[in-house]
Amino acid sequence: MEEVSTVQRRGAFGRLYHGETSFDFMGKKKIGFTISLILILMTIGSLFTRGLNLGIDFEGGVAWQVPVTATMDTDAARTVLSSNGIEADNAKIQILTNGSTKSLRIQVGDQTPELQLKVKDDLATASKTDANEVSVSSVSSSWGRSITEKAIRALIAFIVLVSLYIAWRFEWRMALAAILAMLHDVLISVGVYSIIGFEVTPATVVAFLTILGFSLYDTIVVFDKVKDNLDKFAGSRTSMANITNVSMNQVLMRSINTSLAAVLPVVSLLVLGSGVFGAIALREFAIALLVGLLTGSYSSIYIASPLLSLIKEREASYRNFRGEHAVGAELAHMVLSGTATGAKSVRRQASATDGTQASNFAPTSTALLTHPPRPRKKRRR
Amino acid sequence: MTAPVMTRRLVFSLTGLLVVVLGSFAGNLVAGNEPALGLDLQGGISVTQEPVGEFDSVSLDLAVERIRERIDSLGVAEPEIIRQGNAIVVNLPGVANQEEALRLVQVTGAVLLRPVLGALQKTPTDPNASTTTSSGSDPTTTLGADSTIGVTTTLSGVTTTIPAPTTTLGGGPSRSLPMVASTVLGSAPGSTDAPVTTSSGPDDTVVTTEEGSAVTEAPTAQAPTSSIDPSTFLGDPSDPNAIIIVDNTDGSETYQLGPAFGTGEVFNNDAKADIIQSGWGVRVTLRNGSTGADLWNIGAAQCYAKTTVCPTGRMAIVLDGVVQSAPSVNQPSFSGGVDITGNFKESEAKDLARVLKSGSLPVRLEVQAVQFVSPTLGEDSLHAAIVSGLIGVALVLLFMLLYYRSLALVVILGITLSGLTQWNVISLLSSTNGLALSLAGIAGIIVSVGVTVDSYVVFFEKLKDELKTGRSLKNSAERGFKSAWRTILAADIVSLIGAFTLWYLTVGSVRGFAFFLGLSTMCDIVIAWFFTRPAMLLLSRNKRLQRGRFFGIDNTVQPVGGA
Repeated sequence: MEEVSTVQRRGAFGRLYHGETSFDFMGKKKIGFTISLILILMTIGSLFTRGLNLGIDFEGGVAWQVPVTATMDTDAARTVLSSNGIEADNAKIQILTNGSTKSLRIQVGDQTPELQLKVKDDLATASKTDANEVSVSSVSSSWGRSITEKAIRALIAFIVLVSLYIAWRFEWRMALAAILAMLHDVLISVGVYSIIGFEVTPATVVAFLTILGFSLYDTIVVFDKVKDNLDKFAGSRTSMANITNVSMNQVLMRSINTSLAAVLPVVSLLVLGSGVFGAIALREFAIALLVGLLTGSYSSIYIASPLLSLIKEREASYRNFRGEHAVGAELAHMVLSGTATGAKSVRRQASATDGTQASNFAPTSTALLTHPPRPRKKRRR
Repeated sequence: MTAPVMTRRLVFSLTGLLVVVLGSFAGNLVAGNEPALGLDLQGGISVTQEPVGEFDSVSLDLAVERIRERIDSLGVAEPEIIRQGNAIVVNLPGVANQEEALRLVQVTGAVLLRPVLGALQKTPTDPNASTTTSSGSDPTTTLGADSTIGVTTTLSGVTTTIPAPTTTLGGGPSRSLPMVASTVLGSAPGSTDAPVTTSSGPDDTVVTTEEGSAVTEAPTAQAPTSSIDPSTFLGDPSDPNAIIIVDNTDGSETYQLGPAFGTGEVFNNDAKADIIQSGWGVRVTLRNGSTGADLWNIGAAQCYAKTTVCPTGRMAIVLDGVVQSAPSVNQPSFSGGVDITGNFKESEAKDLARVLKSGSLPVRLEVQAVQFVSPTLGEDSLHAAIVSGLIGVALVLLFMLLYYRSLALVVILGITLSGLTQWNVISLLSSTNGLALSLAGIAGIIVSVGVTVDSYVVFFEKLKDELKTGRSLKNSAERGFKSAWRTILAADIVSLIGAFTLWYLTVGSVRGFAFFLGLSTMCDIVIAWFFTRPAMLLLSRNKRLQRGRFFGIDNTVQPVGGA
């Protein structure tokens, strides 16, 4: 009977692995909402005070990139700019380190094509390198504006279409909750960019869009489970909070696995790609993705589902059970059995026995009408 | 459905997928197709242009074609020319010279009408020459090449008679009269400091022009040059006032052309190919007033009279330095419309009509963005992205192996197949549609690994749930897949909606990302249905596996009902 005792004494991971957790997510929804509210307020505050550090692709402008040499440094670059009649004070000059090579990135507003080439040649002369070593990227401000407009239009179209699909496939309440959770993720990711002051480039936008997609994807999987359980619990006269809690516990392992599977490659991109190999192009991308994936995983559990529960509680069939939600053994029973039948008897039984065992509770066969438990456990008791 | 039929279907689906994926992989390898790398991965220049002001979508198409021709003629490896909405994005991988690149991609689509000063047949094919007649009047049949030979011109008291070439078909020798031209265009011709000599082999019709002075001609019998060297342009072909030497579209004839009478804007935007007098021709109407019919008639009158401005009587229609057609003018004055007839094939007539349409409303492209990626930066990023991406995927697979034990083999095989499928599609599209894999694309693919793995996780977790309720392995696999498939489909459709919206509505790297996101999502759906489903269902029917702990979960502990 050694095996049986190991089953009963499963650690936290064991219970997680076997889908036997009974975390009370709904009971902690206020904590989640508070954290998110603080983060969102910080984001809004930062967006108003600091704004976003938009790259030339959105604002228009010219950027030269020149290798750092003995004769080329920030001051030399400023001299070249002012000798060409460009306000050197407004120029953004960064030193980029890419592996063993260093280069200067000099960014100013919109300039004429002739002036762009002139500065390029001057920079090459000043740094004593070949003109082909100096690169120029330019975006006219009107083009930058149209890119931004297009991206926003695409985003709105995306949200509308996806909402319609979720509303059709699931229901409008889920669409609303999923979109709110997605906006929450994007807002917080944008906030991180604003607070740290990372430059927003097209790669960043791509990363944000990935987040958006991933956040929705994650939420859909959880909601699919909720939908399943809504049908299962339809006759059980139980509260929406309970159904949500059960669903989240049932998909918890999947959520953790998926998040790990998504985050691992991104961490690898960040640590190895940009850290060890020094590819700067990858870094901003990986940072945006990482932030987004983490908030996405968090929001599908702590934001999307509680929101859905709050919205659905107003429905007639759940209104009477508002505020009622099972914890401990009762919840564990529902998670395992997939039904609320007999849950209350479990609670009575659990409170009668040792309280510490409640969270670890293995339901009795009488409590499980549809799916009897493992018989050996019963014999032991 | 009986079990053997079901099994046969599953085996069929599995082998079918393997044959298709591995077959196309082998096919791509044999054909030498491999994913083309985007600009950000191999370095190069990207130029984005957008039309400004009023333009015609036909002219925009034509501009894209012209850019492609120009780039192809220079032999840039794997150029990428994409139309995104109205914007034209030209990616020139491996090109380092920015000025050169900018010059290359800037086309105007402006059509210039220039008098033919002289024409030279390079190969004895039928020239595109033709006649112009006013619509509905004076039907004239096709003339072959203009064969006006031995023109005598008088200028400033100098009379020159040029001996008729004996073998060349075209070759009306000529001279330009800059002063007359300038009355048309209102400015002096471009600088033509050095007299340029053109010659046509042993017969040597020599055409000499010299600006602003009495024309001197020296019909030497033995000219040293044997062919026209394109580098001896008298002027920039885009300068309407210059005297230029250009070829026609198929390079069969070389023309020396005088300053332009006007532009394609004398026509209305209604040119169309039509059957005119039992042959294909182009019919177009003239705009009214001084910018349309009047301007055209000044030139037509000169050509009809074969004055020194237009000694051959032919009017060349020039687009971006290439003669599209050089019809003879056989009417001094036109009203309303112009018919261009000749030895046109239907396609040629349509091409010419398109040129005239675009010329009537030329597109003015403005450079909106120039992006330069140094080749070393691109290479570094590629290397870093691939290595770290692969390590990341390996970590995910390792995690799967630890968590699902031997079941992870299905995941590893599935991801490999999905990777191969993506490689196949990208390689194929690279060689046929000029698709290029960008850094954003690679990142999209790496992230999609997470989504692909998720399909398995969703499935396996459902399978575990089913097993836990006491169902048999076979039964659980079937029920588990059914419910997982619904979830996977719902989630993937959301991703696909996103990918299509973004692809359709955005430009640049976001669009590239959207493509790869869509591709990997489709792969996920295909692999889930054609690989994961049959593989798992077949495995679950295996008696030996049903006993072991193959599924990484303790399926030997079967709950026994009725305790």
